Amino acid sequence: MSAWDILRDEAPRFFTYWNMVFLLRAAGNTLALSLTGCAAGYAAGFVIATLRLDRVNPLAPLRWLLTLLVEALRRIPFLILLLSVFFAFQLSGAKAELFVIAATAVALRMSALAAENIRAGLESIHRTQWEAALVMNFSALGTLTRIVLPQAWRVILPPSTVHTLSMIKETSLAVQIGFLELTSAARTLNQRGFSALLCYGTVLLLYFVISWSIGRFGRWLEARLATRAATAAPPAAARLAAG
Amino acid sequence: MQYGQVTAYIPDFLRGALLSLEIATLAFLVGLLLGMAAATARACGPVPLRLLVGAYVGFFTNTPQLVQIFFLFFALPEFGLLISPYSCVLLGMTLNAGAYLTEICRAGFASLRQAELEAAETLGFSRFQTVYYVIAPHVVRALYPALSNHAIIMTLGTSMAAIFGVEELTGRALEANSRTFRSLEIFSIVAGIYIVLTIVLSLGLWAVGRFLFRVKAKAF
Repeated sequence: MSAWDILRDEAPRFFTYWNMVFLLRAAGNTLALSLTGCAAGYAAGFVIATLRLDRVNPLAPLRWLLTLLVEALRRIPFLILLLSVFFAFQLSGAKAELFVIAATAVALRMSALAAENIRAGLESIHRTQWEAALVMNFSALGTLTRIVLPQAWRVILPPSTVHTLSMIKETSLAVQIGFLELTSAARTLNQRGFSALLCYGTVLLLYFVISWSIGRFGRWLEARLATRAATAAPPAAARLAAG
Repeated sequence: MQYGQVTAYIPDFLRGALLSLEIATLAFLVGLLLGMAAATARACGPVPLRLLVGAYVGFFTNTPQLVQIFFLFFALPEFGLLISPYSCVLLGMTLNAGAYLTEICRAGFASLRQAELEAAETLGFSRFQTVYYVIAPHVVRALYPALSNHAIIMTLGTSMAAIFGVEELTGRALEANSRTFRSLEIFSIVAGIYIVLTIVLSLGLWAVGRFLFRVKAKAF
């Protein structure tokens, strides 16, 4: 059978109201899972990156431990991480929903990616900024939130979009623990007898729409931030030339 | 935690790790050829070809690799094409890698400056000399860190082959898990193997880059 035959035969039965509701719900689950996980992961990653700064956290062993943790989490496949979290919840006897389990795995992975990313952003700010703030009697946290982060933000944002997009794609692995997201919706529909071409094809398109629009939003945000920064603070050389 | 039952599986896991490496290497190398060809086509091919490459890259980088492989795995048989799970995973990973590597190669080509080519022309370099002495060293150095990073990502990505029944590291872990039910022990060992594997790979790639191509980059 050619692809066209399959489409002509099955499309009217496939694109019914209830199937669409089912798929959109699954898409909602995918989005909710990745965004919750990413938000929690970003919060955790921020804390980790802050605690890895020697100006904020003077305990060297803790910094090394966090570095090891981040390095390890980045080097474990997401599927293994997800299954470990799944079985850890199971063994601990805690009754957790699949959403919570999957979101925990996403958050763990994201915290490592975010910590690295935020660290790179913080390191992009020259140390004289810290020293100047110290001279003006800012606390370490005050320097971080009022001086370093507003400047580091521009370095942090672009990879964040990329990481969020990659996590959205990674959540497709949650099909393995049985969480109803887009991929498992496609599998369910396929098992109900619809052609794989239609089921997986539709889901691929939905993923594309989600990922593409978030990518677009990210680029819009970057562009906005770049122009704002340019208008708010003209480069030092320009000011010198004008003066 | 009781590791006693699980340690017997470690040699089995290591054989699985070799298969993971094999899949990642094959997919990476073929994907790299694909990516270089596609990036070249995008830079200087005819317009329809450029649009085609753009669509390929846009589609494959915006959808999950798992679903792409599912699509191949279940949709190809509907057209009468029966291929083994192993080749299916390999095909899916190669196509996926090709799209990402196209983007990476494109960025590398874009870092080449017109002035460099003009300088080569001024020095009377032939086309081969220009490619060998000017373009290749620059592009390799610009691309190398991103390429080795993607190789690591792909090595981790091979774990999804387990879902299709390929007996690589994760596949063997799932099998050992269903035999012994020592889940956390097994997954902690396997996670450790993945960590060691990717660290060795990172160091190896760094050494190759440092001593073969004189890339100045950090290992981590």
